Amino acid sequence: MQNFIDEFTLNFIEKNRYQYIAEGFINTMIISLFAVLVGIAIGFLVAIIRSSHDKTGHMKAANFICRIYLTVMRGTPTMIQLLIIYYVIFATVNIPKVFVAVVAFGLNSGAYVAEIVRSGIMSVDEGQFEAGRSLGLNYRQTMQFIIMPQAFKNVLPALGNEFIVLLKETSISGYIGLTDLTHGGDIIRGITFSAFMPLIAVALIYLLLVTGLSWCVNKLERRLRVNER
Amino acid sequence: MSGNVLLEVKDLKKDFGDHAVLRGISTRICQGEVVAIIGPSGCGKSTFLRSLNLLEAPTGGSVIFEGNEITAPGTDVNKIRQKIGMVFQQFNLFANLTIEDNITLAPVKLGLMDKEQAQKRAKELLGRVGLPDKADAYPAMLSGGQKQRIAIARSLAMNPDVMLFDEPTSALDPEMVGEVLELMKELAADGMTMVVVTHEMGFAREVATRVMFIDEGVICEENTPREFFEHPGNQRLQEFLSKVL
Ligand SMILES: Nc1ncnc2c1ncn2[C@@H]1O[C@H](COP(=O)(O)OP(=O)(O)O)[C@@H](O)[C@H]1O
Ligand SMILES: [Mg+2]
Repeated sequence: MQNFIDEFTLNFIEKNRYQYIAEGFINTMIISLFAVLVGIAIGFLVAIIRSSHDKTGHMKAANFICRIYLTVMRGTPTMIQLLIIYYVIFATVNIPKVFVAVVAFGLNSGAYVAEIVRSGIMSVDEGQFEAGRSLGLNYRQTMQFIIMPQAFKNVLPALGNEFIVLLKETSISGYIGLTDLTHGGDIIRGITFSAFMPLIAVALIYLLLVTGLSWCVNKLERRLRVNER
Repeated sequence: MSGNVLLEVKDLKKDFGDHAVLRGISTRICQGEVVAIIGPSGCGKSTFLRSLNLLEAPTGGSVIFEGNEITAPGTDVNKIRQKIGMVFQQFNLFANLTIEDNITLAPVKLGLMDKEQAQKRAKELLGRVGLPDKADAYPAMLSGGQKQRIAIARSLAMNPDVMLFDEPTSALDPEMVGEVLELMKELAADGMTMVVVTHEMGFAREVATRVMFIDEGVICEENTPREFFEHPGNQRLQEFLSKVL
């Protein structure tokens, strides 16, 4: 027991080492939150372009660009994307690393969100679309008021899962020298040479975050499900 | 059979790839008529009906609605569809909306009524279709017959000049067919112009003012119900009737 307290003191209390983890936690939260928002924005945009193209045959050029984006983002490791965006694309400009990470993870997540949302749009029965159009609603109105709300509900579990994956994936941010939660714990390990305390602490924090997120998604899902019987 | 021509169809053709489904259909539908369309499965009845509000884009011929050729390029189809109601075999009520919102969505979003007017109208219509207490229900909570009556109310909310029905009772349990047919009968009696694809020969005989037999993409015979059923001229129609009657 004394050993445990000593270890705890060494890793977190002495010289306020807990601050590495606190700073990392804040950065992880900021990166995840804004990357999710970027991912949703890009994902919905791409999904709408792609499914509108499939339904109407319009927007050929935009659809082509979207497909290249999806292929690249889903066909290369996230880490390589992060490194390229930091060392190649933003090489010559001085931009906060957190911003770089938001761009990288947001672009990456957008590709997965896009395919999730697109599958959700396709899962809505064609009859719903035809009923909307037969009443005189135009394409956009039908999508906005009838198709998207149902598509969103259908894919909510998958979207929740994607955000959990994203949160955990931000743990590679240390590779561009950014102190995220993982990197913060690792800095402490480098100073104190004890692995157990900092790494377990970091793991526990991730676990809490993911559990909380799952809980929120479940709750939202149940709220939206009230519509059915 | 007198009155204004509401819908005129001239040599309508529809191919899906190299499959010619409609091979030249011509007819006129006048105000107040109730036209029943019958024919074997796959003969193109739905395709014909869906061409009338351009849910299917015809590959040839023309459709003229209230004097305007709606198959002409540049037609505002959304405007046209506001005046042509459609009722589907699978009801297609908006699953994400309450019954009231199902009925009010289009009139409100299209700027035809404000929210309050539309709700008042929805209430009237729910009364008319015999479901006054379902305003706050969701479609999934209703029986098939109730769903179809709501679908009819939703169409009526747009005050259409003609209503298209694509086998409105074919997805219903037998005990619910009657309630829907009864409602359609009332609509007909109120003077609504209706085009009804159906397998309900009783309805065609009693309610329709004209019955049309489509086979292999053409109208083989059309006549008053009496003549149609008692003296079918076309041989394929005779065969068809001997199977279904
Ligand atoms: N979207 C489509 N693509 C290809 N073929 C179709 C399509 N819709 C209908 N068809 C074909 O057209 C024919 C007529 O269909 P339909 O009008 O639905 O027949 P009915 O309503 O008389 O049973 C059928 O052979 C069907 O397979
Ligand atoms: Mg059909």
